Amino acid sequence: MWQTFIIQPMVNLLLWIYDILGHGPHMFGIAIILFTIIIRLVTWPLNASQVKGAQAMQELQNDKEWQDIQKKHAKDREKLAQEQMRIYKERGINPFASCLPTLIQFPIIIGLYQSISRAMAATPLDMLNLARTLYPFQNIENIIPLNSTFLWMHLGRPEGIPLPFEVSFLPNGFPLLAIIVALTTYVQTKLTMPATPPNPSDQAAAQTAAMSSSMSVYMPLMLGWFALTFASGISVYFITSNLLGIIQYAATGRANWNNLLPGGNKKNATKK
Amino acid sequence: MNRKKIFVILLLAFAALTLSACSGQPLTNTWPGLAADAERAYLATGSFIYAVDLKTGDQVWQYPSEADNSLLFFATPVLTEDGQLLVGSVGTTHSFISLDPASGAEKWAQPFSGAKGTWVAPPLVMNGTIYAPNTDGFLYFLDMNGKQTANPLELGGSLWSAPVTDGELLYIASLDHHLHILDLDGNPIGEPIDLGGASPSSPTVGEGGVYAGSFNATVGFVSSNGEFQTAAEASNWLWGSPAFDNGVLYFADLNGNIYSVDAATGSQNWGELKPDGPIVASPLVAGDQVYFGSENGTFIALDRDGGIVWEKAMGGSLYTPPVLSGDTILVAPYQAEFALAAYDASGKQAWTFTPVKE
Repeated sequence: MWQTFIIQPMVNLLLWIYDILGHGPHMFGIAIILFTIIIRLVTWPLNASQVKGAQAMQELQNDKEWQDIQKKHAKDREKLAQEQMRIYKERGINPFASCLPTLIQFPIIIGLYQSISRAMAATPLDMLNLARTLYPFQNIENIIPLNSTFLWMHLGRPEGIPLPFEVSFLPNGFPLLAIIVALTTYVQTKLTMPATPPNPSDQAAAQTAAMSSSMSVYMPLMLGWFALTFASGISVYFITSNLLGIIQYAATGRANWNNLLPGGNKKNATKK
Repeated sequence: MNRKKIFVILLLAFAALTLSACSGQPLTNTWPGLAADAERAYLATGSFIYAVDLKTGDQVWQYPSEADNSLLFFATPVLTEDGQLLVGSVGTTHSFISLDPASGAEKWAQPFSGAKGTWVAPPLVMNGTIYAPNTDGFLYFLDMNGKQTANPLELGGSLWSAPVTDGELLYIASLDHHLHILDLDGNPIGEPIDLGGASPSSPTVGEGGVYAGSFNATVGFVSSNGEFQTAAEASNWLWGSPAFDNGVLYFADLNGNIYSVDAATGSQNWGELKPDGPIVASPLVAGDQVYFGSENGTFIALDRDGGIVWEKAMGGSLYTPPVLSGDTILVAPYQAEFALAAYDASGKQAWTFTPVKE
């Protein structure tokens, strides 16, 4: 089922784009970028719903009534939860609106990753599986093998710009793409981070902020490590996806650009 | 570290695990490589290379002693006249190593690790030179101590199959649809020849040239002066190398059709013959019989008229070409109950070998 409904359509879409681009040098990289844009467009409503939900929750942290109930019921968790639910209901806020779309998108992200990996067909078995994955309309003899060259990269291998000297922990050279992946992930995560809650007694908000703060550190490190280790085609996907995410969030006009600067988070919160 | 942080780390670790290993299989996986001399079979099957005693089916040695993700072996090992067993890795370090066939000990001071890509193809060894094709599209030239003797030659595409030689020229097929002809010093002779499709297996030396199958479902004959002509056609991709014996070509396609074609006239010797599922592995010609292994796991012995002499259901999939050592036919199924089996020409099983899981 996973193969039939997620992987197969995605691989075919990716390779169909590659085919109509003319399968020359650099075209597979461009195909990955276009493919990511298409998937982002398809999942735009989900992302928009996530952004909207996150914004509503963020606004709530600065709401007077919300802050008052935090203070009033600070020692009675049950009552606090009841009051919170009342406010959610009154204002039509779904507390899960920001995380549900993420959960729904998770299989899509995994599918994207697997589709790109599968399309690269690094071994004979991968190639055989790829051949079986393609729909009959695909121009399979011409598509295979993919021309994996993109800019200075081979999309089937980890990226690295050769250095004039050897560095033992950088066997592939200077990891420019991994750094860009980590940076764009950091920017995306930081932009969507809520401001530090002005009320220190709002424990839930403080915990959420702490969690977001952790994400902004660990997520770039994890994706950077992926970019360092795995085929650079995946990095092209990560960068495109991150940039589109940043654009989408910026388009809402609610991006916290101050968060990108040291201490910007607190400054942002104080302003409010 | 508070609970939230631990939760975030666990969540990210889960995501990393899911993204990198959803299938539950190693990131790099394919079917095993198999070779044999008079005493032992050598099976390259993922984390280990196993040497197996041909008389008993017992393990003689394994390399390395412990699994190491930087070393993954699937390429067919190659035995040299000076007593080396050469094999390249598809692991992260792209090592190309030399082992002692008797003990499994490393023979070179250090492995050759100068290639950018992995080693799917076995090398060709001739006159003290190792011609090693890599997935980075380069052909590397090494001496018998693993030192580069010349700059690598860029052929293009990804090189998945060993070069072959008629003694004067080298022929090497690429996934970029081309066959390259080189002299023994590695100088290209003429322009690469377009085969019409990717060619994942080695060409087969015939009379005055080579036969090469490709994904465009044809066997092409390329003469030593680079002229191409279609020698035979199939109904689907040709993955394995054709076998050439006494003027007859034997090959099979991904639809499971098995062909016998008179190389001189191009005429089919058999009617339609499709005994089982898709066929990827190159056939083996030995004595009066021709052996084919199917993806459905059936090993088939045919006589020269296309009659089935015997067949064995092995389980798993038979992608690895069968290998002959003396009178023993070795078969290495992929994902079966055993990793290697030995048969005689009558189909009697001598032994099976299953690596001990540590």
